Amino acid sequence: MHMANELLSLPVAGGTLAIAGGVLGLICRKAKQVITSEKLALMGILGAFVFAAQMVNFRLPAMPGTSGHMVGAVLLAIILGPHAAAIVMSSVIIVQCLIFQDGGLLALGCNIINMAIVPTYVGYYLYRIVTAKQFSNLRTYIGVMLACLIGIEMGAVLVPIETSLSGVLMVPFSTFLATMIGVHFLVGLVESLITVTVLAYIQQVRPDIVADNLQGKIRLSKRAVLTTFVVFTIIIGAGLSLLASGMPDGLEWSYAERPDQPNFKPVVSNNDSRIAVVDKLQSKYSLMPDYSVRSDGEDKKIQALAGWRSFAGIFGSITTMVIIWLTAWILRRNNPKTVAV
Amino acid sequence: MHHAHIDKFAYQDSPVHRLDARVKFIAAVIFTAVVISLPRTSFAILFCYAIGPFVILVLGRIPLKFVFKHILLVSPFVLILALSCPLYDKTPVKIAFGPSVFQTTVGWERCCTICGKFVVTMLALIALVSTTRFSNLLAGLGKLGVPKLLIIQLGFLYRYIFVLIDTAQHILRARTGRTFRNLGVKQEMKIASAMLGSLFIRSIDTAERINIAMHGRGFNGNWRTISRLKISNNDYIFGVLFSVFVISLYFFAVPVLN
Repeated sequence: MHMANELLSLPVAGGTLAIAGGVLGLICRKAKQVITSEKLALMGILGAFVFAAQMVNFRLPAMPGTSGHMVGAVLLAIILGPHAAAIVMSSVIIVQCLIFQDGGLLALGCNIINMAIVPTYVGYYLYRIVTAKQFSNLRTYIGVMLACLIGIEMGAVLVPIETSLSGVLMVPFSTFLATMIGVHFLVGLVESLITVTVLAYIQQVRPDIVADNLQGKIRLSKRAVLTTFVVFTIIIGAGLSLLASGMPDGLEWSYAERPDQPNFKPVVSNNDSRIAVVDKLQSKYSLMPDYSVRSDGEDKKIQALAGWRSFAGIFGSITTMVIIWLTAWILRRNNPKTVAV
Repeated sequence: MHHAHIDKFAYQDSPVHRLDARVKFIAAVIFTAVVISLPRTSFAILFCYAIGPFVILVLGRIPLKFVFKHILLVSPFVLILALSCPLYDKTPVKIAFGPSVFQTTVGWERCCTICGKFVVTMLALIALVSTTRFSNLLAGLGKLGVPKLLIIQLGFLYRYIFVLIDTAQHILRARTGRTFRNLGVKQEMKIASAMLGSLFIRSIDTAERINIAMHGRGFNGNWRTISRLKISNNDYIFGVLFSVFVISLYFFAVPVLN
């Protein structure tokens, strides 16, 4: 999910840019000792691989008509190590912003934190903790699953936090959070399955590539997949029952009813003390903390004046643009020889 | 194969293309910052700000149809979030526009402002990228203090994205040519992972060959470019015009149109 400039306020955008820049600088300095010049070409090409891999789509289970693709952060973290993977993913996000215009220039800090730094580090260390250097079939499987799910989920959770700190969007924090968690639960599930299968494939064909971080042999057995689905069904069931009993942990599933009911009220109300703190922060740091409702009894004259002013602003600007365009067009038509491509 | 990337117009030549990459980059960042810090109620002022990137795009001979198609292509996420605003804020507000006064809600106003800001900042970003070669932009960023490792990484990435996207498209075409029906989830996943795996191994093999070739030519971890980054008089003129445009709009038009 690429953040756009417009969903952030200036202090949040500046702050996240500074954090992302600082962290990336640190990683680069640290990685200089680890990364030899032989690895530079490899890292660059793996970044390009992430782009290409995102084009390989496949039908999603249980949801006809939709297709999923791979994100790749955890796969890179497992194969390259977290520092190099964070640099590769950051470069992918920068290129996505500059060349493909996915995500805004000022939102770059947010995007790098959410999609490059958090998933690679969280994913890598979760994977290391679970496998604990004993690469059994089950441990690897669970490690990759957890790394993908939690790594992606944590990055996704940051999106509503950043937007609510900015105070631009009107969507209630809890609803947005629940939607992001719900959607990225599915994304993470697909990602983890595909990461495991790709790792298994690479291990079968080129075991030398993954030698440091993956040993033995992993095999995606039918039983493992079945168990995963059972476990996730239990988690989802538990979430639903919590929602039914009105517990705040049921947040995750409050979004489930939203698409067909636009007026659906979130189960969790906003009087939680934590949300109050977030609101306080929001009013403190957002550029336009409060909006005043214009009263009906406002002076009609002022309103009419404001109306004509905005009218003049919009039409003046459009006229200016049309004039500029026409002038350029006429000039170019008269001497086409200046066109040098 | 055809790639729908914006960069293709960066190799044209125009006064805007000849400006220094650093100047353009800093201008784009400042412009975006100013636009997103505009108050929520000032929809009209966004049109005035749009004139800036518009002039750059026209001077740089970037086809406007292409620009707007591209903005539409990247808009879904913002659109969905912006359209959710009216659902949550139903405070009534009156908006005067020309002779008429509309009764609407703050949510809709907010939605319009978010979309407007999105279009204007995208115009600025496209104006930057489609008039600056990526290698020059990277060299400029390097001079502005971005870590060298990241610059090298970006250079490699940009160089090989389209090669690997081509490869991926070949693989995808091969799959399409051999698949005639829905194969079921398990088979689909298996095929997709085999495709990704083979793509991955191909990438690594390519990287090994490139590495050998580069070392054969004396690469030692330093990225050398024939960059001709020099701030010329035109850059100063552009900088002055840009600051006059942004500052005058901010101090004269924003209070009036707000």
